[in-house]
Amino acid sequence: MRKSTLLVFLLIFALAMVFIYGMIGWNVFVSFTGWTGGTPSYNLVGLSNYTKLVHDPLFWGSFLRTLLLFSVIPISLGIGLFLAILLNQNVKGARIFMIIYLMPFAFSLVVTGVVWGRMFAPSNGAVNTILRAIGLGALASGWYTESSTVMLSVIIATVWQFSGYCMLILLAGLKSVSKKKIDAARSKGASTLRIYRDLVFPRLAIPILTAVVVLMIFTLKTFDLIWVMTSQGQPGTSAYTLPVMVVVQARGLFIAYGAAAGNVLVALVLLIIIPYLYWIYRKR
Amino acid sequence: MGMLDRFVAKVTAFTKTFQKKIAPIRPKRIALYLVLILFAIVFLLPIWVAFMTSLKNDTEVDNSNPLLPPTSPTSSAYSKALGVLGRPMINSLVFTIGAVLLSVLLGSILGYIFSKFKFRYHNLVFLIIVAGTFLPYTTIVYALVRLISGLHLYTTIPGLILTHTAYGIPVCAFMFRNFYADIPQSTIDKARKRGDGDWRIYRRIILPASGTAIVTVVMFQFTSIWNDFLFGLFLGGGPTQAEPATVALAGLAGSHTNLLMAGAMLVFLPVFLLYVFMGRYFVRYLTGPSESPEKEIEPTPELE
Repeated sequence: MRKSTLLVFLLIFALAMVFIYGMIGWNVFVSFTGWTGGTPSYNLVGLSNYTKLVHDPLFWGSFLRTLLLFSVIPISLGIGLFLAILLNQNVKGARIFMIIYLMPFAFSLVVTGVVWGRMFAPSNGAVNTILRAIGLGALASGWYTESSTVMLSVIIATVWQFSGYCMLILLAGLKSVSKKKIDAARSKGASTLRIYRDLVFPRLAIPILTAVVVLMIFTLKTFDLIWVMTSQGQPGTSAYTLPVMVVVQARGLFIAYGAAAGNVLVALVLLIIIPYLYWIYRKR
Repeated sequence: MGMLDRFVAKVTAFTKTFQKKIAPIRPKRIALYLVLILFAIVFLLPIWVAFMTSLKNDTEVDNSNPLLPPTSPTSSAYSKALGVLGRPMINSLVFTIGAVLLSVLLGSILGYIFSKFKFRYHNLVFLIIVAGTFLPYTTIVYALVRLISGLHLYTTIPGLILTHTAYGIPVCAFMFRNFYADIPQSTIDKARKRGDGDWRIYRRIILPASGTAIVTVVMFQFTSIWNDFLFGLFLGGGPTQAEPATVALAGLAGSHTNLLMAGAMLVFLPVFLLYVFMGRYFVRYLTGPSESPEKEIEPTPELE
């Protein structure tokens, strides 16, 4: 490597490092201070922000709702797998179906929040209109305006956004199963169920793992959708997840406390990606 | 005689393929297509409802069935939405293009270095960078505000370009490294023996082989930067500063539904156009980043 190459490498590397690890380091340091308000104060207070977190019902509510959002993962994977298996049956116009199923994934989460706000609108919303039209009017509700259904609304909108992505990843996995093996098994009289169990699903292990990790991270990052659809986590704090809570703290200038909550979120992410990256790269 | 034979042969071949194409109608196939179409309708429904709503006038939007098209379509909601979103959309376009160009260039250089130079711990160093892709940005956004303010770039377009470039580098480097793994090391070695320097190799060998890679990464970056909300919310400021279209759209919440939906359609439009005209790259990009870790395990192909 020449000197100029090394120099350019170090510059780009440093830029990424400052914005990623510099910020995390700053957060870790600030979480041990008593900083509230617009002017920095670096008086160290030890772990008190973290002990405050442990006793804060808002934090635990947000934490549990973040985990609740993980239910998006099996649902999206289920729908995605179903669609991928269907599309793998020599379907005519498969491309068009794929493009349609994938389109939500290109949406900004802000646009998704706005559009699903219209779908779930309590008066004259599309979902309630459909429910009433098919005789299920009893299920019509206030959706994101009621604390009992707000998370359900968020989950449905998120599933809509991510199912197509799951379909694509799983379809790529299905396509990688060799036709010869399937034909051979079929000529030996193996049932479709057996073929799927023994030949197809093992090939899906890696795509499924990848999709699970990607969706987990997406879920842990999701903030825009909830922020827009539920007007910043309302009603009350019943749509607060960890990212929403962290942003609320930052905007309220509870800097040190917000940093502590943020560190918990970063720890969760690390807990997921370190084993994943280790598993993917261990063969090196 | 010969001609007739050939004609008959052609006709039989044609009818055979024709028969193959029109397979006997099987109920299972019909059910398959019905289910696929049903899902397509469910997936498109929110877009349909939003689009129809955006074409209705203020009174019809409150009184009509949300699933039905307007009786007299009007573009008045769009002209109102453009009034609010026009300037923010230009802001978004400017910083998105700037950050896409920069992050793709820098990511490509990093990808080249990580794929064609073996230095000590290069894999660990690479992982440390790639891990940045997974950072939940909400957690560091206040620290970022202070950093960008310290650089006097708060509420400016350059501030957003810098931010999106820095956070775009990891994923760009990751994708480019996977693409460049397909360029044989022997080609690089030969060029080195000829006495070509690192940058000459980058210009002459790596860049010309990067066509698809660049399109794919550009699409990925354009979509995620255009769609971003968090950085714009904290660093963008007002419409005349650097406010992005997504933040302006969120600011429309509470106004009339047709205006809100028209705004949503406008914000989606650039990504939609990109998606329709370059859909195949889009599909590649979606399979790309998450499929490639497996490919990563394989060493760079050695052809000689």
